[in-house]
Amino acid sequence: MPAPENSPDLLVCLHFLGGSARTWEPVARRLADTVRCLPLDLPGFGAATDATGYDVAAMADHVAAAIRSIGPARFALAGHSMGAKVALALARRAEGGDPDLAGLSHLVLVAGSPPSPEPIAEERRRTMLVWIDADPETRAREARAFIRQNVGAPLAPEDEAAATADVLRAAPAAWRAWLESGANEDWAARVAVLRTPALILAGSADADLGPAGQAALTAPHLAHARTEILDGAGHLLPLERPDAVAAAITRHLAAGPAADPEPVRIPDPYAALIASERVNPRLRDALAERARADDPAYAPAALDPVELALLRAVVARVLPDAGFDIGARLDARLASGAGDGWRFARLPPDATSYRAGLRSLDAAARAEGAPFLARDGEAQDALLRAAQEGRLAVPESQDPRLDTERMVLWFEDLRADAVRAYLAHPATLARLGFSGIGAGGTGAPDADGLARFLPGFARTGRNDPEPWEPEPARFDRRISAETAR
Amino acid sequence: MNLDGMRHYAGTEPVDAVVIGTGAGGAPVLARLAEAGLKVVALEAGPNFEPGRFAFDETLADEIYWTEERLSGGTTPEAFGANNSGTGVGGSTLHWGAFVPRPDARDLALRTETGEGCDWPVSLEDLIPFYERVERFVGVSGADPYPWDPGRRYPLPPVPRNGPAEIMALACGQRGIRATDAPAAVVSRAFPQAGGPEREACINCGYCHQGCRNGSKTSMDVTYLPFALRRGAEIRPDSVAHGLERDAAGRITGVVYRRGGVDHRQSCGAVFLCAGAVETPRLLLNLGLANSSDQVGRNYMGHVATQVWGRFPDPIRMNRGYPSSLITEDMVRPRDADFAGGYLVQSLGVQPLTLANAVARTRGLWGPALHACLDDYNHLAGIGINGETLPCDENRLTLSDETDALGLAKAQISFGYGENERRLNAHATALMRDLWEAAGAHDVWVLERVAHTIGTCRMGRSGDAAVVDPYGRSFDIPNLWISDGSTFPSSLAANPALTIMALALRSAEAFLKDAR
Repeated sequence: MPAPENSPDLLVCLHFLGGSARTWEPVARRLADTVRCLPLDLPGFGAATDATGYDVAAMADHVAAAIRSIGPARFALAGHSMGAKVALALARRAEGGDPDLAGLSHLVLVAGSPPSPEPIAEERRRTMLVWIDADPETRAREARAFIRQNVGAPLAPEDEAAATADVLRAAPAAWRAWLESGANEDWAARVAVLRTPALILAGSADADLGPAGQAALTAPHLAHARTEILDGAGHLLPLERPDAVAAAITRHLAAGPAADPEPVRIPDPYAALIASERVNPRLRDALAERARADDPAYAPAALDPVELALLRAVVARVLPDAGFDIGARLDARLASGAGDGWRFARLPPDATSYRAGLRSLDAAARAEGAPFLARDGEAQDALLRAAQEGRLAVPESQDPRLDTERMVLWFEDLRADAVRAYLAHPATLARLGFSGIGAGGTGAPDADGLARFLPGFARTGRNDPEPWEPEPARFDRRISAETAR
Repeated sequence: MNLDGMRHYAGTEPVDAVVIGTGAGGAPVLARLAEAGLKVVALEAGPNFEPGRFAFDETLADEIYWTEERLSGGTTPEAFGANNSGTGVGGSTLHWGAFVPRPDARDLALRTETGEGCDWPVSLEDLIPFYERVERFVGVSGADPYPWDPGRRYPLPPVPRNGPAEIMALACGQRGIRATDAPAAVVSRAFPQAGGPEREACINCGYCHQGCRNGSKTSMDVTYLPFALRRGAEIRPDSVAHGLERDAAGRITGVVYRRGGVDHRQSCGAVFLCAGAVETPRLLLNLGLANSSDQVGRNYMGHVATQVWGRFPDPIRMNRGYPSSLITEDMVRPRDADFAGGYLVQSLGVQPLTLANAVARTRGLWGPALHACLDDYNHLAGIGINGETLPCDENRLTLSDETDALGLAKAQISFGYGENERRLNAHATALMRDLWEAAGAHDVWVLERVAHTIGTCRMGRSGDAAVVDPYGRSFDIPNLWISDGSTFPSSLAANPALTIMALALRSAEAFLKDAR
């Protein structure tokens, strides 16, 4: 298969906590015909046990230096678990214009740690911190147990032995640094929303960083992400499923850069009405502005990327298939501070309310077993219905929090704000067959600022349309289909 | 409006009166005082607009709504902004519906009649000459004869009925309810506006609430304000009054206002505070003035404004035509009422965003059901009421802990229905449902809504229990007058603006009489 022009000529591979460059070897072998792989040892791991600088930024510097020394024209970054967080930090640097990283074309996040603090049970974290400094026998036993806990099915004995050996040769300081601080570093705001096309791989049996965790914590930071779920796999995907991982990467690297989004199409008859003299220029300009395609990598200004993803998910249930990014437009309006002149006295100011409302909704979803973003539409609807009907159980520990009664008010506000954005769009007005925009163009402005000689409507009664009034766009489609036959 | 050639007063020149607010309460005062030769300056918080630039769009119309945040609480929290609060030269008349029924005489004496609510310190008879003057001056279109007041004559014939009006007429006919063309402060014919540019006839665009582009709808900027301007009044847009200076005797000597980020002062002999039933009490409470009665902010009222909607087989296209072109006053005192007072019923057409907001917010639809409802926009029609709300202790405007950009505390409004409003609402809802079902509506739904802003600086005969006297003068500060919906002791069933304008003329003339 000839490589498309945008295919990278290097895939830089970053390993998980306790892994090394070796972790990626099975995948690298399978990618030999696709792309040259450069698996690296992160500071404190593999052959780099003497290197220091264990925080995310320092690890990113380490990787950036390696990339600079090669100077690839185009390269992709693959990060596994801990390595994925480093990859996300590097992608932000690349998109921010770092010349060393200018050629970044694709991201691959394999059971990746999210940019935000990583969910890990406190008990497990504590145990891992204890045995890394224990006697050799305990270390050997626990390292093997650690590998076994992280796979969906047993590895081949030689692979398990190699992975265990990698854990044992890691610098304990590097191990501790990740568990005590690196995994807790909050990069959510810095990573924000990345444009680089990304592949998310998740093992269905991975507890913390499986499909739900990826959907809830990592996908919101990626404007162009595709998720593939490896059924039955655990956390150590490059070791467990090298075939599947390599195949998914091959497909991903063959894909071109994300296409510029198409604006929602305004049906021809309605577009013609907008262009006609019946519509005044100020309105025509406003409609054109509202019809412009939204930036898929819109960086939220009032919310954080996860909250924006939650908002988009809620809006998708409130106004399914609206056709444009209402969530981003609501965020922009929240950030502008432009209000509608009032708010419920029981709710905090609008932006605070939205953040608390979205986080409370997600907390209620998690308390019932899965994050809001990892649920299907039906399950999301059930939660929204509970919010609307005043029976959503928001955990007391949630902060920021809206209680059950405030969730009723906030969800009411959200619906109102969503329809406001929806009805402003010319595609919506076309869908409704709304004729009001055609009540008059410029007219003849007089010295007093009044518009004279506007056509308005000569007919006002029911069942008495004027000949130019548009029919709803959905009927247009049907009619044209019938005509075609 | 065109402010060219306007007279300008120096801030240090003591004008006879400063009018704060240029809506239905302020503009007639400004016009009447200027007509009498007084030096008058109006301060308007909002900008001056060129009506021809209003754009037939609900989102672009944000510019004419008061969007400084208010906190809405109580058991029936009321929406502000586009629902009832305007800004700009002309105030809320830029977006009002121009629906101008006169109140029923009984509504001004509700306490005498029923033992509920309160009596006004003024009778309808006192006000009728003022109503007639306002109707003639601004050009009201209406039915002839008007079934509930056979002697009444409107200056202009009715505006055309739209789809919802036709349906309501049909339904009322079937149920033996009288209904007719609504009194609308919209000129149905070209109208030679006294003191202003001639106004073209209404073009039935349906955008009354988004700003009238040709001046056919009465707003202060095409009626009283040009009249005032040509008689020497000055109108200062973008000027937010936030301070009142007083002398040792407590009389106001000047108004402090913010314009372009800078404080200015206008010296004056008197102040007319005409900022509406939220901003007027809010300013007085922030300044701690005119409140020895402890009545400022009390008895806040919004009208019971419930609507019933339905889908009809015929295309209605309710965006066309004057939105509320049919009325019945048969329910001003329903025979079977178990409540005091009554309500007016009107047909309703609304623009799509207004509908969608109500459907999503109050009807609570979302998902495919929301789409299904909105996709039927061209087949929907509504009917709604404006119903009496009794004054009530719990319904009150107070100051919030939060402040605005000027450092003034925001208004917090607590409003809820009492038993009388609930009964009235139930009666009206049953009636409207029946009418809409009789008319063949499918998918009938009820939309609870509260309209208008009324009360908070009530007028009365005694300074112990009222903020202003029956002419709008403050009991505490003799050269402070209030002219807006805040002085209403009770809500009346009629929409408030016509009465606000009538009271404004009456206050202005009382002021002139005092001055002589």
